[in-house]
Amino acid sequence: MIESGFDRRDFLKVLGWGGAAVALTGCGNTSVQDGKETVVSYVEASDYMIPGVSVYFNSTCAQCDAGCNINGRVREGRVLKLEGNPASGINHGKLCGLGQAGVQHHYNPDRVREPLLRKGSGGETITWEAALKLINEKLTGVSGEQIAFLSGSVSGHLKVLLGNYLDSLSSKNHFVYEAISPAVQRAANKKSYGVEMPKFSLNKAKVILSFGADFLGSWVSPVHFSQQYAQFRKGVEGKRGVLVQVESKMTLTGANADRWLAVRPGTEGVLALGLVNALGAAGTALSADVAAAVKDFDKARVTKDTGVSGEHIDKLVALLKERTPSLVLSGNGAEGFAHGSQNAAAINLLNHVLGNIGKTVEAPAVVPFPQMLSANGNSASLKKLNDGMAAGTYKVLFSYAANPVFTAPASMKLADNLKKVGFKVAFAHYLDETALEADLVLPLDSALEDWGTHIAEYQPEGGQISIQQPLMEKLHANTRGAGDILLALIKQRRAEEYKAFDDYYAYLRTAVLQNKAALGGGATEDDTFWDETLTSGIVKVAGTTAALSGSTAITAPVSMASDAQYPLFLIPGITANLRDGRHANQPWLQESPDPLTTIVWDSWVEIHPKKAAELGIVEGDIVEVTSKSGSVKAQAYLFPGIHPDAISIPLGRGQSWGRYAKGYGVNPFQILDAVFDKETGELAINDTRVQIKKTSKRVIVIKDEGSGGGKQFGRKIAVSVSSNEVDLSKEV
Amino acid sequence: MSVTNLLENWSQFRHFHPVDDKPHDPYKWAMSIDLDTCTGCNACSVACFAENNIPVVGKDKFEHGQQMHWMRIERYWDEDVSNPGGRDFPDQGAQFLPMMCQQCEAAPCETVCPVAATNHTPDGLNSQIYNRCIGSRYCSANCPFKVRYFNWYDYPTDDSVWPAEMNQQLNPDVSVRSKGVMEKCTFCVQRISAAKITAKNEGRLVHDGEIQTACQQACPTNAITFGNLVDTEARVHKQWEAQRVEIDKDKQEKDEEKGGTDLRGYRILEELRAYPSVMYLERVRESAV
Repeated sequence: MIESGFDRRDFLKVLGWGGAAVALTGCGNTSVQDGKETVVSYVEASDYMIPGVSVYFNSTCAQCDAGCNINGRVREGRVLKLEGNPASGINHGKLCGLGQAGVQHHYNPDRVREPLLRKGSGGETITWEAALKLINEKLTGVSGEQIAFLSGSVSGHLKVLLGNYLDSLSSKNHFVYEAISPAVQRAANKKSYGVEMPKFSLNKAKVILSFGADFLGSWVSPVHFSQQYAQFRKGVEGKRGVLVQVESKMTLTGANADRWLAVRPGTEGVLALGLVNALGAAGTALSADVAAAVKDFDKARVTKDTGVSGEHIDKLVALLKERTPSLVLSGNGAEGFAHGSQNAAAINLLNHVLGNIGKTVEAPAVVPFPQMLSANGNSASLKKLNDGMAAGTYKVLFSYAANPVFTAPASMKLADNLKKVGFKVAFAHYLDETALEADLVLPLDSALEDWGTHIAEYQPEGGQISIQQPLMEKLHANTRGAGDILLALIKQRRAEEYKAFDDYYAYLRTAVLQNKAALGGGATEDDTFWDETLTSGIVKVAGTTAALSGSTAITAPVSMASDAQYPLFLIPGITANLRDGRHANQPWLQESPDPLTTIVWDSWVEIHPKKAAELGIVEGDIVEVTSKSGSVKAQAYLFPGIHPDAISIPLGRGQSWGRYAKGYGVNPFQILDAVFDKETGELAINDTRVQIKKTSKRVIVIKDEGSGGGKQFGRKIAVSVSSNEVDLSKEV
Repeated sequence: MSVTNLLENWSQFRHFHPVDDKPHDPYKWAMSIDLDTCTGCNACSVACFAENNIPVVGKDKFEHGQQMHWMRIERYWDEDVSNPGGRDFPDQGAQFLPMMCQQCEAAPCETVCPVAATNHTPDGLNSQIYNRCIGSRYCSANCPFKVRYFNWYDYPTDDSVWPAEMNQQLNPDVSVRSKGVMEKCTFCVQRISAAKITAKNEGRLVHDGEIQTACQQACPTNAITFGNLVDTEARVHKQWEAQRVEIDKDKQEKDEEKGGTDLRGYRILEELRAYPSVMYLERVRESAV
């Protein structure tokens, strides 16, 4: 790590000459021979720039919203590898595969490099000056209500600047959209616990009962939870933690469970209430209201509705009573239904009944800068925007870090509605589906070239603000940071207020230093404090703690009607690597086998072997999956970890852009029915019914598992042992 | 090394550890992997791609079995899942196994190399000399773990693998391999060498924790431990000792006693007497639920 005290801007200047240095290392840039660049001798470089010796800089991962702190290895002016920052309260020096692939986002050959203006069906490059001027013109005479800004989750100073810009336009239309988010859960938690996102202490629990929360793969803050999970497995007081996962489609977390219970899709809430009832019968104290609410959920009914056997319910109840505290989690698997909020409330009720509130469900730390806190995305906001566009309300639309044309169900007709917006500006890294619909495309810096501050939604250990800083000089001369673009735009409106800031860096530095005292800077010199902040990449702030409160009120989940024409549930797979597909053009992620099926570079349809036998489907058959809203064709994969009433297709593939994404797989977002959670208005992603038909085509499934289909045939390769045969507390 | 030298001193070149006249001193690199905390998330595998300049081969070549993942996650189902008469669901989850070169002490790959391109280092690594490799692929055929990967194509010149800009990510500490050579996990030998040189310059030995392999560093659950098996202070040494796994035995204490030994350390395919340097700790499943 570099000692603090050097001048950060000098560093960037040095890196500015890095292109020549790279040429000397012979890595393909032959511009020295071409005479286009000046050779700068290493003799003149700063003290810390030693050829062959790496330097490390801290920054923040932008591959998902968990906001892990990263440490980038930089050599000869190029960033080579990302690791976790050991000082982080979120990821403690660890980083997932998606985060590792951040360098492939940065070096991606398909990045947009110039501002592009639509011309007929194509586009032409224009200058930044012309682009910004055009935006100003298009905004003239347009009222604030007619302007909308669509973004992904955003926090820190970028959120402040974005808010101020919309304010300067008198617009209140900031739509924060994430196609995959725990939005139903936030609402349910607010009711059950009094806060949207409490702190879940997995490492303090002796039993974790998770209803479709894939906390090891893609849920909320997976790297953090994975570390807690490791502690949980080692055990509290030497007693190894037990994980029980209830879901219809096995997730990575389900694959690590001691007991995986296949539940009929949508009946997670029924099972939760059945467990409350059974706990009451086993002697756990229930309030009169709760007892009354669950009295109909006797074991016979619950078994009939959910398909989970009475024996498993009894064992689970005994375990939950014996080993406390436990922790009950609700996730996307249980929440993606029209009655998702009811399921989540029923699941949260278990934490109240089991006395976990305050023990494993704890009050979260709150960073005391409300204006910088994360604006968390959900899908209800997209529906609102879509309705507005359909009604012709918006004349100008900005989009940033969202690709709704890809992620919105075709049944929402979003692409058609976009055409009703007069002028669309996309801040884009790639020419993705949404950027292709835009009138003006503004090319963004990669996350490893840009400045920023982030406050993660999930704050596990006190409050922390994460600093994002460039790990190297820009690869392309004409890309800009989102903050810089917003600053340029706001200067069009409030020139006087922002004239002191040449760029977003200056704005950020000033803003941070203004709050030096609150950020723990005290009497430190400005320059020193700033250098220290950049060096550590993390500002720990004395957070306040939100109080837990909340009610145990629930509405009994409705039973779901069956559909003769579309008999199967489509449960889209949310994979740790591809999520909603924004990073699909990173080849490491495409070639990284899906942990459960080991399939690469393609989509597949998971179908239970029994159901497949019934339908005469074998592995590799191309099957057509049809919902009321459309159909896709993909290869079948016989997967035992799925309920026979459901099939699953992973999200994140089927793009129409990118050399590593285009042509690989299909996009199941497109065939989702427009069904919404009744309480929150979130898209109910698991509530689409489908039929499945075999076509005459069959392919070889390209996967990593051998011809044995994942069997060991008696050889001791991966070995298991029963918990009563070992004592982990004696281990090193 | 001349061929004459090679032939005359063959027994020395195929010399495998451990033997009395050449004890491991001061280093013997080894690993232990806890399958109870490994979640199969693939972070290690991607970290390995990033660290070791491994080419992404693409869909077609993957189909032909030409993938290059030095570190791969194997996924197994319990034997009776979805078999006739067996369980319908894998209701105790899946079994994940990170598999990479086991750095065998008596490596079957070493003895069959016609040019001694793969051989043993004094610190117990199974090394691969790319410049000497002639691509016979005998080593891969003889590897019981199937962890050797062959360069069927010249990936550095293939525009789909490292196109402009993407090539700037390549790690300068690691050779980019060309067509016709075999490659495999090196235990991140570039990191080992760097630490050894630093330690030597400072007149000391490498201490525990100074070297992290890329997979170990990324692993979100700390399932992977790497270190010097000779160093009694090293965590990996303590783990091997606690599990009574000895590197030069082909049967461990755990195998002798049936049932409840409280031991869960084992090496894969131990009966083949390759004496792997990687110990796995068995996955545990709760009996009460």
